[in-house]
Amino acid sequence: MILPLLIVFIGLTLYPFGYMIFMSFFRYSLASWEKPEFVGIDNYREVFRDRTARSSVDFTLLLLVTAVPLEILLGIGIAFLFRDSLGEKVFRSVLLIPMMVPAVVAGIAWKMLYNFEFGPINYFLTLLGGEKISWLGTQFFSRLGVILIDVWQWTPFVFLVIYAGLQSIPRDVVEASLVDGARGFTALRYVELPLLRPLIWVVLIIRVIDALKLFDIVYMVTFGGPGSATHSYSFYIYKVGVSFGWDIGYASALSILLLIAITILTNLLFRFLRFRETLEL
Amino acid sequence: MNWVWRSIKGILITAVLFFFLFPVYWLVTTAFKKSEAWFSWPPSLVVFQPTWENFLGSEGEFFGSTTTAIATITPYLRNSIAVALCVALFSTVIAACASYAISRFRVGGMGFVSWIISIRMLPPIASALPLYVVFSRLRLVNTWWALIAAHLVFTIPFSVWILLTFFNEIPRELDEAAYVDGANTWQTFRRVVLPLSVPGLAAVATLAFIQSWGEFLMALVLTTGKEAQTLPIYLGRFITGWRIAWGPLAAAGLVTMIPVILFSLLMQRYLLRGLTFGAVKG
Repeated sequence: MILPLLIVFIGLTLYPFGYMIFMSFFRYSLASWEKPEFVGIDNYREVFRDRTARSSVDFTLLLLVTAVPLEILLGIGIAFLFRDSLGEKVFRSVLLIPMMVPAVVAGIAWKMLYNFEFGPINYFLTLLGGEKISWLGTQFFSRLGVILIDVWQWTPFVFLVIYAGLQSIPRDVVEASLVDGARGFTALRYVELPLLRPLIWVVLIIRVIDALKLFDIVYMVTFGGPGSATHSYSFYIYKVGVSFGWDIGYASALSILLLIAITILTNLLFRFLRFRETLEL
Repeated sequence: MNWVWRSIKGILITAVLFFFLFPVYWLVTTAFKKSEAWFSWPPSLVVFQPTWENFLGSEGEFFGSTTTAIATITPYLRNSIAVALCVALFSTVIAACASYAISRFRVGGMGFVSWIISIRMLPPIASALPLYVVFSRLRLVNTWWALIAAHLVFTIPFSVWILLTFFNEIPRELDEAAYVDGANTWQTFRRVVLPLSVPGLAAVATLAFIQSWGEFLMALVLTTGKEAQTLPIYLGRFITGWRIAWGPLAAAGLVTMIPVILFSLLMQRYLLRGLTFGAVKG
């Protein structure tokens, strides 16, 4: 019964994976007719010399240290804010929207918002007495722009998970802490947050992994520009491997490095997932 | 004190909702704006005279835009529907079989389950390139099949995860009763377990549909023409050009978005369960 799944996964993940490791040691481009040529670890050495690769790593790291923590903090904050408020069910459904809208569509919406001449964000800024900002024209603001979209998209995810976690805290635990004299923030800090900690870790790691894979938004909103300011790592691989040059060898080397990072993170994730409970294994 | 706190809370909630909903609001309203209103200053925040022009087309070509209407959307819509339906079907069948085996016979144990999760974590760009090479050898690039196969990789782990929790909740005694009555494994699965997990199967199929519907990168790499390109690619191509026809683009975005929003609202609970690998029951 497990056979169809094995066929799909071996054919579509293990084989490509093996192919990629293999190709990462070759100079091979689909754009030329030359046969693949063995070059050893040259492709990997090239990664460390490549300026654009550096800047894409920088931007991706920037995303990890700004967008992800912001999402986590906001998500937790909003979960506590919405708890027990009127209409929380409606809010929950509504906040599902940013997360579920296909990234491409979200990209269109934000591209309109960021428009220099006619965009509503610049309109609001001028209303507040500010200057129009060229959102997609400078390195600082285009990076900020992508980070903002990421926060917009994924804070709801954190919120929904934490919210579900909050509701699964047994009532009697909270009541016991009330009896013991814990009020408001004390209860939050010493009772609820510690109970949520494993869940927060799970969300954090999932978010880090997904942030490493950021592509759609960059493609739609900035196309990596201006210059290479908003090249995310995935976008750079795409550029090397597909849109400019079909350089399979070098793109494979880049992908392998990404895979290594993600594998490490995934293993970390396993520590926090309580398999035995959910699977009854 | 209490009313101060309450009004602060009210303001915060409003701000949060505004931030998360405004982009969607903007997209929806732009879809109904006349072409003069796409580029206007101050931007028109409210649409007083909604129009269907952006969906149905209008007279007069707009300079610099590729098309003024989304009438050209039909082949892409067809591709999207076909691919997403096939993905939903295949991924549900494959995941159902596999998760039943894992749930009842513990095939592969922990290691196998972890492997399935790690596949969900794979960066799509990393598998897109080798898959392109494979499919181009098989002459499958720019066909539905290439896309369906590529999407299965991402939908199956998700589906397995949701179905596992479902099957685990069905008491094993029922299986045993079926065995006593002389049913074999396959019959037990089809006649006893599957009928009991219809809601789970529906959830899994819907969510696979959503994922495939909005998927961009694989479609971008593996398709080249309108025989197989899906809606997200259609949207991506729209956005090139120095002055973008915002109205039709937003209209096309709306068409792409609506089924996803509807389905995900319906399947909220399972969605969360699948996304967090069961860390949240939802």
